[in-house]
Amino acid sequence: MRILIAEDDFASRKFMLKFLSKYGECDVTVDGMEAVDAFLMAMDADMPYDLVCLDIMMPTLDGYQALKAIRDIEKDRGIPEEECSKIIMTTALNEGANVNKAFDLGCVAYAGKPIDQVKFESVLRKLDLIS
Amino acid sequence: MGDDMITEGMLDMFIFETEQGLENLENICLDSKDNGEFDDDHVNEIFRIMHTIKGASAVMMYQNITTLSHKLEDVFYYIRENQPENIPHAELLDYIFEVSDFISGELEKIKNGMESDGNADDLIEQLDAYLGKIQGNPAGAHAGDKGTQAAPVSVPAEKPHFYIAPVASERSMFYLIDITYSKNTDMANIKAYIAVNALKGIAEDILFTPADIISNPESANVVLEFGFKIALQTTAAADEIMELVNSSASIEQVEINECTSEEFIDFCTDAEAPISSAGEILMEPIEQPTVLIDEQKPETIVLTEEEKDTFAQKAKSEKDTGRKKAPKSPGKRTAVKKGETQSFISVNIKKMDLLMDLIGELVIAQAVVLQNPDLQVPGLDLTNFQKSASQLSKITSELQDAIMAMRMMPLKNTFQKMNRIVYDTSKKLGKDIELEVVGEDTEVDKNIIEHISDPLMHLIRNSVDHGIESNEKRMELGKTEKGKIILEAKNESGQVWISVSDNGKGLKREEILAKAKSNGLLGNRSEKDFTDKEVYNFITLPGFSTKKQVTEYSGRGVGMDVVVKNIQEVGGILDIESEEGKGSIMTMKIPLTLAIIDGMIFSVSGTNFVAATNSVTEFIRIDEQQVIVEPDGEEYVMIRENCYPLIRLNRFYHLEHGKDKMEDGIVIILSHEDRKIAIFVDELIGEQEIVVKPMPNYIKKVRGISGCTQLGDGSISLILDIAGLVTE
Repeated sequence: MRILIAEDDFASRKFMLKFLSKYGECDVTVDGMEAVDAFLMAMDADMPYDLVCLDIMMPTLDGYQALKAIRDIEKDRGIPEEECSKIIMTTALNEGANVNKAFDLGCVAYAGKPIDQVKFESVLRKLDLIS
Repeated sequence: MGDDMITEGMLDMFIFETEQGLENLENICLDSKDNGEFDDDHVNEIFRIMHTIKGASAVMMYQNITTLSHKLEDVFYYIRENQPENIPHAELLDYIFEVSDFISGELEKIKNGMESDGNADDLIEQLDAYLGKIQGNPAGAHAGDKGTQAAPVSVPAEKPHFYIAPVASERSMFYLIDITYSKNTDMANIKAYIAVNALKGIAEDILFTPADIISNPESANVVLEFGFKIALQTTAAADEIMELVNSSASIEQVEINECTSEEFIDFCTDAEAPISSAGEILMEPIEQPTVLIDEQKPETIVLTEEEKDTFAQKAKSEKDTGRKKAPKSPGKRTAVKKGETQSFISVNIKKMDLLMDLIGELVIAQAVVLQNPDLQVPGLDLTNFQKSASQLSKITSELQDAIMAMRMMPLKNTFQKMNRIVYDTSKKLGKDIELEVVGEDTEVDKNIIEHISDPLMHLIRNSVDHGIESNEKRMELGKTEKGKIILEAKNESGQVWISVSDNGKGLKREEILAKAKSNGLLGNRSEKDFTDKEVYNFITLPGFSTKKQVTEYSGRGVGMDVVVKNIQEVGGILDIESEEGKGSIMTMKIPLTLAIIDGMIFSVSGTNFVAATNSVTEFIRIDEQQVIVEPDGEEYVMIRENCYPLIRLNRFYHLEHGKDKMEDGIVIILSHEDRKIAIFVDELIGEQEIVVKPMPNYIKKVRGISGCTQLGDGSISLILDIAGLVTE
């Protein structure tokens, strides 16, 4: 599985990297813009990410914008829904409005920080990303 | 939402919505319990509720709730689609209540920050079996599976969404930090960033202005001039933050203030908007990418509209300032709420109490002004004064009404809970009982609602358990009608009366008397002297129960005394009426408001007293011959063939120089419940709205006095406790 992690905070980034490395090859970006670039690159190389973890509060391009951009790119390229990357937002913003907004924008899961690893894994399982 | 609720927005919403759904569900079930079946609307509604709960709990990853609600949804799906005849309704209701109880229980755990670990497997199995039964297929489990497979067809395909709640951490605090650097500091922006960096270790969330401290060297000047502001969400204490921040010598001052999450979010929203490169994306209207359950759609549309507005605004402000923008995410709360709830605000009840007190003081102050002794100068022309005075009185009384109305809540919710209690208890006891609710829209003070919920529950349980006979017994007694409990609320002379009446066996005077006798409560009065009321009141004494067998619900002899205590706390009384073999009526009579009453003022040798106007039945001037003196010194008056005990207030309170001759003073007849007494006073002064104040702590309890108040002329007046006097 190929994983993209976008996270501006160093500690969180390191945690996510460590946590997710056991499931696949992780790429790390530090802001939303870079994440979108990385996503495009991977797509061009025909090696799209299976899982994208986006922080919301990031410089340059925040998580919502990155999420929207990624979904737009996928739509633009006519990728069928079931083949789209699974996107999980990872953030400390737990307000209902934020969560619903992210769902509306097309993320599949929304993980509040500090991240509950057990539940996170069970979501990955439900998404058939890990067995 | 209350303070004690967890602060996590998403969870709050889930709990709130699920609780509402369950409440609806119970109401529907109780409504329909006598019909023997659900009508189509009910089936649809229940299906919808379970569907919503299923969806929401799946998002929140509460697997047990999801599976259970899914199963019930299946059952209703089958009922909706196939409209089977003769479904065992009572059994179905039981299952629904069990499901509802299970989910409530889990919600309670979640609210208390525990894991939702309840196991619903048994219940699911039972539901499966039930589904099998109504499908006419005894192999329950198998049929259940079919139902499961069938169900999703009707449901619009939903994208799975998951919400991973953050691991429970200590309650985090929000701080606003303001750092001032001394004016000659070099590279203040870098120093500021170091401070931010130091805080990142403990921060759950951190925001700061100016936000471009790293990329923009100019920001150093901004920092020097306006200071550096940080909004921080953390579990750490203020002194820990201080230590981390205050590491540089060039820091002149650090201010750390705790703030609420709202202020924190305000800070986020006030901070500058996102960067320009995202501008084009932002300006596009956001589409509706997800398939949603129907009823959520309108809300979502509203939400996106708002989003657009905000983004448009941001884009505008971006043009206006032309500055480089800080990244931030809009932390808006308002969009969560549904349209109709936006017109409500929740106010801390303490603030309401304060307002109530202040208005009370205002009423007193107004009386002090309007009845000021300075106005008593003879020949003073007060026409204009009186005009404005009456205007002022009008406004203050409206103000009183307004605050009262604000605190009023209908009894509906409380009564609905009782429905469930009757259902559960009667079911368990195998009695056939219906509950009729009258006047559930009656409004009472919120304070009072809180106090009566428990006593009411007791009374209802008592009626179900002791009041109403078992089905067989009723048959034996030839009582053809169903066991019935009527729960009624009404407004009556400034009080609210809430009564629980049943058509059961009623209280047995003899039995109670016998028990009272064995408890030594009768004293040396003969049994015949006791009125029915007095006898019935024995059951409100602690530890008094004639029931030999203790049941799960009542009979321990606690209960009634607790009921009475609770009612007395809000200044009410419990009135018991009963007829053996026909049933009993328990009525809670509670004052609508505790703070302001209409009072009748009179004086006794220079001391003012007040009695609540609604307890005064008449004033009468009598002559000495009408007074009967008993050998033990007790006095009675005969008025129109009625005999009333007489209390001369001047002797009662040892006031000297009071009028002693009956012809000089006046007698007031006061009533409390059914009993009346006559009090002898010097003269009447007038009627006025009075604000009840408790007696100051340093005065021990005085016989017959319940409180005091301040009159218009500034003097203090004592409020007579009529209930106390009557029982003297």
